[in-house]
Amino acid sequence: MKTVRQIFSFFRKDFLEEVSYRTAFLMQIGGVFISVTLWYFIAGFLKPLPGKLPGLPGVPYFAFLLVGIAFYHYLSSALGSFAGRLRKEQLTGTLEAMLMTPTPISVIILSSALWDFFMTSLRVLAYLGLGILFGIQFRVHSLLAFFLILGLTILAFSGVGILSAAFILYLKRGDPINFLISSASALLGGVFIPTESMPHSLGAVGRFLPITYALNGIRKSLLAGTSLRDLLPEAGVLLLFVAILLPLGMAAFALAVRKAREEGSLAQY
Amino acid sequence: MSSSIEIRRLSKVFRRKKSLREILTRPGMKGSEIWALREVSLEVPHRSIFGIVGPNGAGKTTLLKILACLILPTDGDARICEHDVARRSVAVRRMLGFVTSDERSFYWRLTGIENLQFFGNLYGLSGKPLLHRISYLLERLDLREPSDRPFKEYSSGMKQRLAVARALLHDPPVLLLDEPTRSLDPISAKHLRRFVAEELNGREGKTLLLATHNLQEAEQLCHRVAVLSRGKVLSTGRVEDLPQWGLGKDAYVLVLSGIESLPQELRDGRSVTDLQGGLVRVAGEFGRDGEALSAFLRGVLNRNGKVVSCTKVEPTLQEVFDRIEEETA
Repeated sequence: MKTVRQIFSFFRKDFLEEVSYRTAFLMQIGGVFISVTLWYFIAGFLKPLPGKLPGLPGVPYFAFLLVGIAFYHYLSSALGSFAGRLRKEQLTGTLEAMLMTPTPISVIILSSALWDFFMTSLRVLAYLGLGILFGIQFRVHSLLAFFLILGLTILAFSGVGILSAAFILYLKRGDPINFLISSASALLGGVFIPTESMPHSLGAVGRFLPITYALNGIRKSLLAGTSLRDLLPEAGVLLLFVAILLPLGMAAFALAVRKAREEGSLAQY
Repeated sequence: MSSSIEIRRLSKVFRRKKSLREILTRPGMKGSEIWALREVSLEVPHRSIFGIVGPNGAGKTTLLKILACLILPTDGDARICEHDVARRSVAVRRMLGFVTSDERSFYWRLTGIENLQFFGNLYGLSGKPLLHRISYLLERLDLREPSDRPFKEYSSGMKQRLAVARALLHDPPVLLLDEPTRSLDPISAKHLRRFVAEELNGREGKTLLLATHNLQEAEQLCHRVAVLSRGKVLSTGRVEDLPQWGLGKDAYVLVLSGIESLPQELRDGRSVTDLQGGLVRVAGEFGRDGEALSAFLRGVLNRNGKVVSCTKVEPTLQEVFDRIEEETA
């Protein structure tokens, strides 16, 4: 119960800070509208051949693209928020004050990204809502399946994000994880083009990225009405990513904290 | 258990990171070592105020950050209420509050109350007990009025008092204070010192470890002090009992009149300057037992001279440390 309250206190603190920047808050929503409109017209020009969107029969390319871009935000958010929040706390000097409290570091790092994930969810909802306005028909067979895939997606991405934060804590700048994963995922993870349509060698790289399975699962559950049972392969692979990446991220972060305490550089930036 | 803080042979060595040039030209070479603390041993009794005095770069903040579990020691150990700072950090953090003079450690767009609520939650407090505690602390630290204003609108004094309030949220028995009055005006500093001495130590019985480079502050507040210089404890004891404190002498500047030429016996070892209007300025050191100063004044008065002024000159902190270092070398 105490941990839940502590997690919520991060959410409340970040909310209060965010709403104090009213203009930026409104601009974020405006940005979503511009982005969706832009992709709607671009998708109109880029009509893939029939059958080029495997597992998504009859789904228009705009719908494929919109869902890809919308849910890619979860990866961007995970990669940006853990490391970004941590760096902000270092810069503002509040990280040391937080680490002075008995709250476990794992709670601090996980809670720090909660607000960003919430905002990303609002942004994704705005994307999907605008998608409906632009004529996309969502066919959801099982909400449970959708939320299962989404939950595993967020956890897997969080593992990568925490790993990225560990680099930031130790190196302060120049996090290689963020650069490699975000570039590779956008290019090879099926955000814009189905991995099956890519050259074989590039598509093979995409199979090692969690976003590939996350987007496959989410598109199938939202656009093709796929059942939970048929989504188990994607869910299984995502679970494997979670089981590897989350403990790896936490262990790397604990190691980075220890190194920073040895060097006396916790609050340095 | 008679000590709240026990430090035994504590050392901290930082290794300087190599520059890009050094990495390229001397890849095998390690970064140079900087000894921030060397075998520091101290005991801070329960319910006492203990001062760590030393010039900038002496290692005071490093020592406090090790006690606050923010830096790991290289060697030796330290305990807060019997909990090892390197191995039992969660237990240690429950036992202590840390007040720094760093204004950056708050959320500037949140109000004072919102900041305290957030950090209170992190200390495991919530609901009515937290609100009551915040209300009590705001009252005691005279922060009731600005508590609904964003932190960025606070004066330096208010910011520092809010830092004290945060450190007291979980009512810890031990408080670490790192130059808490550094950015305060004399009146605010005086109020904070009074709060620390009378309320926190006197009434609530908290143990306080104060790092400062202000000798007067240490003298006013601390029951005992340790003089730290270049990471080493040079001397420990009561402020007034430190034998090296100015080597048992005080410096005075006297302005005399009615005495045409000061005899050699009164000039020896002193700086004498003739001023306008027949005045003579004498600067020198006199023993604290009063013998030498009395003899000097007698010599002046016996020659029909008058003492226009007699001012005790406090040595600068650096002078004191230089003297202590010379003595202990």
